[in-house]
Amino acid sequence: MSAAKRVQQWATFARTWHIFDCKWQDPYQSAEVIKKYLMGLHKPIYHSMNDCGDVVVCINSREIALRGNDWRQRAYFHHTGYPGGATWTLAWEVHNKDPTMIIKKAVYKAMRGNLQRRHTMQRLLIYPGEEIPEDIIQNVSNQIRQLRLVPTRLDHISEEEVKKFPKVMDYPQDYVLK
Amino acid sequence: MVFLTVANWIRARGPDEFWRKRRIFRLAAHYTGRRRNCYSVAVRNVHRALAYATKARKLKKEDMKVLWDTRITAACEQHNITAFSLREGLGRADIMLDRKSLSDLAAWEPKTFHCLAAVAKEKLNLDNFIDGTDKKEPTGINLNLKDVMLEAWLKEKK
Repeated sequence: MSAAKRVQQWATFARTWHIFDCKWQDPYQSAEVIKKYLMGLHKPIYHSMNDCGDVVVCINSREIALRGNDWRQRAYFHHTGYPGGATWTLAWEVHNKDPTMIIKKAVYKAMRGNLQRRHTMQRLLIYPGEEIPEDIIQNVSNQIRQLRLVPTRLDHISEEEVKKFPKVMDYPQDYVLK
Repeated sequence: MVFLTVANWIRARGPDEFWRKRRIFRLAAHYTGRRRNCYSVAVRNVHRALAYATKARKLKKEDMKVLWDTRITAACEQHNITAFSLREGLGRADIMLDRKSLSDLAAWEPKTFHCLAAVAKEKLNLDNFIDGTDKKEPTGINLNLKDVMLEAWLKEKK
């Protein structure tokens, strides 16, 4: 194998590190996207026996958004194996306990159950906030696009910008604002 | 026993017991334990294996089709086109390539595949065809990073 071909081979099978910002994202829909990068389904050389999956770093997993009343209604099942060992934990309780758990379980569930699944999960790194260890962030070379637009809150916009924004009318003097 | 009717030859037990069994044992040669040594066990397993092989001839084609589709979808995503509109565009441009050739091109001849995607896109554009099948916006050249808070952060690292 010539030197050029050898480098081409390394470049083809090199692992790329992707970053995904979970802020305001649905974990179950994001899981489908993250899964694609973890398993290497986004490469034309994909094969289930081919180790072509990438590494995905999820940040801001504390800021995920669940649909409807899922925070109160969705229950996570666990069984200790002993009689009467079944527990159902609500999503908000799981999230309070461990902010990375929901996204982790969502990605785990999105993949088919086979021997490769647990090894593929090793390539998923989740961080509750924005702070990532330096040795991990320096590997990241791509960002996965978020599925939803992160809305900007009014109280996060500076006062000058709010004042500059064009108004249709001024409130009358005697109008009571709640 | 002497068969006078030709139809009865079908029910004849074959040449000789040794050679009849040997034919089965040859097929069971790569098995382990009693499955390759005892005829009564071997013949059952050989028959089952042959039945699987018959079914697998069809399954193999289906599996390959799924694999090619996965690869084509992945390659299309890089060029910001859906697999559906690629097929539609190439079909309209009279480029009759099957899944196998397309996925081979995507893996081994990425530039050729890029041109094919461009041709498909241009053809659909000329035909005023709107792809309504897939609203999910793929990543690619039209990736818009203006809404992503990390953009500046990643830039200063590179």
